[in-house]
Amino acid sequence: MRIGRYELTLEARPTRPALHTALTAFPAILLALALSSFLFLPAETGFLSAYRAVFSYAFANPYGLQATIHRAIFLWLCTFAFLVPMRAGLWNIGLPGQVYVGALAAFAVPYALRMSELSHPPFHPGLIILLMVVGASLAGAALAGFAGILRAKLHVNEILVTMMLNSILFWLVAYMIKEGGPFMSATGEGESFNLPPSLYAPLIRGVPFTALLALVAAGLLDFLFVKTTLGYRIRVFGLNPAAARYAGINPVAISLLVFLLGGAFAGLAGYHYFAAVPGVYKIPGNYGFYGDLAFYGIICGLIARGTALGAVPIALLFAGLSLGARFAQGQFHLPFGVDYALLGLLMMTFVASHFLYQFRIVWRPVATEEVPRVSAGIPER
Amino acid sequence: MVRFPFTHPEPEEPLLAARGITKRFPGVLALHRVDLDVKAGEIHAVLGQNGAGKTTLMNILFGLLQPDEGQLYFRGQRVHFRSPHDALAMGISMVHQTRKLVSAHSVLENILLGHPGTRGFLNLRTIRREVEELCHRYGFTVDLGAKVWQLSEGEKQWVEILKALYGGAKILILDEPTSVLTPPEVKTLMASLQALVQDHGVTVILVTHKLPIVTAISHTVTVLRSGTVVARLRTCEATEQLLVQHMIGQDISSYSISDLLVEKGRPLLRVEHLSAYNDKGVLSLRGVTFSLHEGEILGIAGVTGNGQEELVQVLAGLRPPASGRVLFDGRDVTWLSPLDRWRMGIGYIPAERYEIASVATLTLVENAALNFHFDPLFSRRGLFNHPGLEKVTRHILSHYRVKAPHLYAQARHLSGGNLQKLIVGRVLARKPKLLIAHLPTQGLDVEATAFLRGKLLEAKAGGAAVLLISEDLDEILSLSDWVAPIYEGRFVAILPREGADAETVGAMMAGLRREEAGVS
Ligand SMILES: Nc1ncnc2c1ncn2[C@@H]1O[C@H](COP(=O)(O)OP(=O)(O)O)[C@@H](O)[C@H]1O
Ligand SMILES: [Mg+2]
Repeated sequence: MRIGRYELTLEARPTRPALHTALTAFPAILLALALSSFLFLPAETGFLSAYRAVFSYAFANPYGLQATIHRAIFLWLCTFAFLVPMRAGLWNIGLPGQVYVGALAAFAVPYALRMSELSHPPFHPGLIILLMVVGASLAGAALAGFAGILRAKLHVNEILVTMMLNSILFWLVAYMIKEGGPFMSATGEGESFNLPPSLYAPLIRGVPFTALLALVAAGLLDFLFVKTTLGYRIRVFGLNPAAARYAGINPVAISLLVFLLGGAFAGLAGYHYFAAVPGVYKIPGNYGFYGDLAFYGIICGLIARGTALGAVPIALLFAGLSLGARFAQGQFHLPFGVDYALLGLLMMTFVASHFLYQFRIVWRPVATEEVPRVSAGIPER
Repeated sequence: MVRFPFTHPEPEEPLLAARGITKRFPGVLALHRVDLDVKAGEIHAVLGQNGAGKTTLMNILFGLLQPDEGQLYFRGQRVHFRSPHDALAMGISMVHQTRKLVSAHSVLENILLGHPGTRGFLNLRTIRREVEELCHRYGFTVDLGAKVWQLSEGEKQWVEILKALYGGAKILILDEPTSVLTPPEVKTLMASLQALVQDHGVTVILVTHKLPIVTAISHTVTVLRSGTVVARLRTCEATEQLLVQHMIGQDISSYSISDLLVEKGRPLLRVEHLSAYNDKGVLSLRGVTFSLHEGEILGIAGVTGNGQEELVQVLAGLRPPASGRVLFDGRDVTWLSPLDRWRMGIGYIPAERYEIASVATLTLVENAALNFHFDPLFSRRGLFNHPGLEKVTRHILSHYRVKAPHLYAQARHLSGGNLQKLIVGRVLARKPKLLIAHLPTQGLDVEATAFLRGKLLEAKAGGAAVLLISEDLDEILSLSDWVAPIYEGRFVAILPREGADAETVGAMMAGLRREEAGVS
């Protein structure tokens, strides 16, 4: 673009240290918040107090903060479930299905032990909880691994397979918990039975232990990709499958492995929301809402560019804002969907900041209009 | 003003001109105050070694890169290309060194892609007829319905040129167009370019480091060395010798290879009746049998597309054989995985440097690790031994004279020759017992070619058996102990070097049988 004697151009920036990438998140967040002020215009009290309401509910109010943390743990696990296959160049769109199957597997454990809400555990409850956690991860891994195998052996598109599994699992959950289903609650209200209190997941300072699990996993995942040969193989396969094959990396093994690992995280996310969040401890009738929420794992994974630790604050922010905005919506009688709009804006500013981070706008004077003659003095032997 | 050795009346206005172009990359001054004048209707050769800055300069002319300093002029008007879009709008089109087609789409679809006239309704039949007419006019033969992944490198190049012409290109920039072509394809290309210029008024900027091509078809030549213009000549005034001197700034005789005498060792590789299908499902390797001893080089001479690709892929474990077997070091390895082959000491240098042998966005250390990640020396209990990897990479960079900004630069920032040195160095650092080198010097400059050929001979002297697959008859004849011309998936003969002369082997490569080629 030319303006007078100056012109504006877009140029690729040369190098991008990882830390800088992370820092671009801050202006993006501020911009999203500034842009979202129009969402709060209908609020009678002015948008500053609306913001204060969003944030104080999400991060300062004891109830809100708890809900934020529970949701963030869920998003962390879902993000990892997407991020591991993503590093191998594969798309795990099956997060909801893997969350559902994880929840079903977790509840299958007390069901198989014929434990009702009031009965005593047949053996140490800690062991049963461990079984539930392992079962949930294995079920998620198996479901995702199915897509991984089809992809690796038969070249069936993993996106299609995982999407189909999502709807199959959605209906399977309905079958299990609704009228006459094996997991139906005693009162038959389209929910699963409640877990007996002895099987409530242990809390660490009031927070489910799954938080610790997720944070440790984040560190381990980044370690995996940076320091280990396996992580290296996954990355090479993701960036250039032909080079990976050349280098002796087994494509079938890698495709299967990343889906198994990703699915295990999603299954764990299912365990977390339905068996570890205080006050839930059942598969509620609106379980589909949590399945949809799982998709935010994809967005967080993409924004964090495949780094698990980078995804931790991003998912926390998404969790907090989605809850805080929903709260403010009720508080100030705002139109429906303010929370989604806020998250949407945030996504857009993240994408824009990545773009501006890779390119820069250059402003420079336009030179003279004539072709200068080629400078003389070039040797001509 | 250019001072030509003869008096030139008032030089005509250049069609496209660059003035004082400077371009820096982190740690590299790629171009320094480069001036370039391209006149309408000429073939303007830009000559220079790998890393001289040719591609960078072309990318600037095409709007892919922005210069740090300097200006561009089109028909005497100052222009600024913010993106290739602006260049295309002025009729400037570029065929890149690496292909930019969509593999899963057909040739016709690729030609249409990005064409300004295809926004709305597509009349495929009319377009097809127009493209066919173009092919006919310029003497191209391409199957418009074929998928791009099925094409050879040479065919892909035609498609890109067709695409440019169909898009209405008036100035055609070709970046090293011959590096992927077989000798007959090169001839066709040169003839087509001349026709384009003479009969259709197209202007061609031809980037190359191949002297015969420069002297055969260009009108003007600009020589780049380390980012600066060192000569600007009329081709008719230049000799190949003079151009070489400009290009490398010294005499090349210092690089000539001394013949190493090597004891013939024990038999290492035996290949029996090996056949394989290509990607299109055609049996293109048809029963090849040979054996190879330690310390020997077998040169397989042939025009690309006669089964060489399939042969090396079967030997590397990347393609299943249709029949036959492979014995290595006394073991049947016919069905062994690529990884096991690396472990057993088979080293493979693929022809596809960018697509297969490297990962563009990984660092040099990580690219070196492609051949070491499974080696217990570099991974302990699943963890990388990073200091060890850095050490071996540094060793490769220095011993193979790879010009690179630093160990953690991305591979895509290396020029083709430097990348190939890294790849060859990495494979040879494993001290393979069998080395499969597929087109190891293709597209490289004089210096890198001589250097890498010397390294192949060193490997042989170290006792390795070497399978050299090349289209360059000089290369085959100067390095091999045995020469096997390959034609349509079969070895026409296996000749000892003493019994192989260029005419015989050349005739066999073209499909003449033993007797016809004059060998008893
Ligand atoms: N994107 C890039 N980033 C950093 N260095 C680069 C980049 N592109 C090219 N270079 C460097 O600039 C120099 C010129 O490269 P290039 O134009 O590709 O040479 P040529 O095409 O003549 O072989 C080389 O030293 C190369 O390593
Ligand atoms: Mg180049």
